[in-house]
Amino acid sequence: MPRAKAKPEGQRAAREMVHLARLMQFADSTLPIGSFAFSNGLESALQTQVVTDPASLRDFVAVAMRQASRMDGVALLHAHRAAVAGDYDTVLAADSELACRRVGEEQQMMTSRMGKKFAELALKISSFPMLERWLAGIRAEDTPGCYPVGQAIAFAQLGADEAEAFVVHQYGVASMILGAALRLMRIDHLDTQRTLFGVLQHTQAEYEAIRDLTLDEMSTFAPVFDVLVAHHTTTHVRLFMN
Amino acid sequence: MALHERLRQLDGAKELRSFQTEPAQMRAAAPGKTGELRLGFSVRHGRSVLHDLYRVAPLLVQQALYWDEAMPDLPICAIISVGGGILQGDRYKIDIYLEEGACAQVNTQSANRIHQMDANYASQHQTVTLAPNTYLEYLPDFTIPYRGSRFINQTDIVIAEGATLLYGEMLMTGRKHHHADERFGLDLLSMAVSVRRPGGRKLFAEKLLIEQGDVTVEHAAVMKGFDAFASIMCLTPPETAARIKARCGTNFATDAPRAISGVSRLPNGAGLVLRAAGVESYDVRREVRRFWRIVREEARGKTLPAEFLWR
Repeated sequence: MPRAKAKPEGQRAAREMVHLARLMQFADSTLPIGSFAFSNGLESALQTQVVTDPASLRDFVAVAMRQASRMDGVALLHAHRAAVAGDYDTVLAADSELACRRVGEEQQMMTSRMGKKFAELALKISSFPMLERWLAGIRAEDTPGCYPVGQAIAFAQLGADEAEAFVVHQYGVASMILGAALRLMRIDHLDTQRTLFGVLQHTQAEYEAIRDLTLDEMSTFAPVFDVLVAHHTTTHVRLFMN
Repeated sequence: MALHERLRQLDGAKELRSFQTEPAQMRAAAPGKTGELRLGFSVRHGRSVLHDLYRVAPLLVQQALYWDEAMPDLPICAIISVGGGILQGDRYKIDIYLEEGACAQVNTQSANRIHQMDANYASQHQTVTLAPNTYLEYLPDFTIPYRGSRFINQTDIVIAEGATLLYGEMLMTGRKHHHADERFGLDLLSMAVSVRRPGGRKLFAEKLLIEQGDVTVEHAAVMKGFDAFASIMCLTPPETAARIKARCGTNFATDAPRAISGVSRLPNGAGLVLRAAGVESYDVRREVRRFWRIVREEARGKTLPAEFLWR
């Protein structure tokens, strides 16, 4: 991590503060990258009564975060390490390996649309050379543009370490589903905040479970969730895009 | 005899790290525990035939039979495991290939039972290679992982554009009516698949991984209330995939459903995948057969005959 070691205490603290503030900006659930349009299967989970109340919502979010960690999380760590090392080819490998494991047209759309929007937004507010190259690749259809890979590139440049990038990613998965929950089910802001607080406790264990995995070792197991993904593409009344 | 390179690579998988002890019986990968099967189908005199068959016990295929009344030109081979199930230390290698224009069906004689293990693990590597304009139905029967079992499987598929492959796995969570601890009592189930074009372009990959102690298996979004599930791929050109998807719909009743299922698109225009979960194996089998019939009708213009009464 390129944080200075020899600088006076005050200077270093100031740098840490800006770093933390920028990290919070990119982790904010109101970051305009279109996440409000996606429920990550929650809309179908409610229609099929897989989720009915705050307790089953908590379980659903926990499963979604675990699935995201073992797929997107692995790709994110590899992309982050590659971006730190300036190894653009490995960034692209992480992008295409993740995309070729993404089942369901709406799941594919969620990650590629948010990836592209994220890159566009980041480039509007600052200069991110590798993200610029990546966005050009997406536009030329040379690379699929998965959101976690975009996050990895940006966070690497912002000086965030891979654990921080992983946490922001996990937080984003949870906050997106809980944001959709507020609009889809009878639940208040206090319940969703309590749920968020609860599910975040697994973040470190998840990171430790996946940090040594190779791209080939991305894995999944959630049969009912997989059916929900298919279910949403065939429903007539929909508020969300997945 | 040296173990095949691909099986040796599987031996190095991370999830097998804690299962490296030697069985007290025959050593792992000993002769008699390393099954091998090679099945090659091609068109001879206007009909698809099994022209290449190589087998090493405990895997066995006898000959291709033509008993499908709706597709009388379809050679059908049943894979037989003379060992009565998969045992600790077993290593299997299966290669199936279809030459241009051929069609075939490969199934298994019975459920694939992965026995309890107190040492080592069992592994299997498969390749499925489809030339242009071929059609293969490779649908093994249910895999039943007994409690304490460890099984790793890797399937590498190479499919030419224009070919159609129906392949997938149906799984039970254990011997559900045998013992209360059978449900997800397995130590390890790791099943990976990769799909490529002949030039090497990767279209799709997936790894299903269940390890002992995973608390999320009882969550409603994973397997709560269900003891059987299936993931069946249909790799086929996009226009065929679109017709199949339009006919499939989703089955997800809210009132204690016997089975739920849905069809999703695979990435990179690879085709479709049916995902199903059900209470009993026959509930899931019904979903799979429905998908299978639609695939056959849309890909080959032939239907699927009624299930045998004894199945």
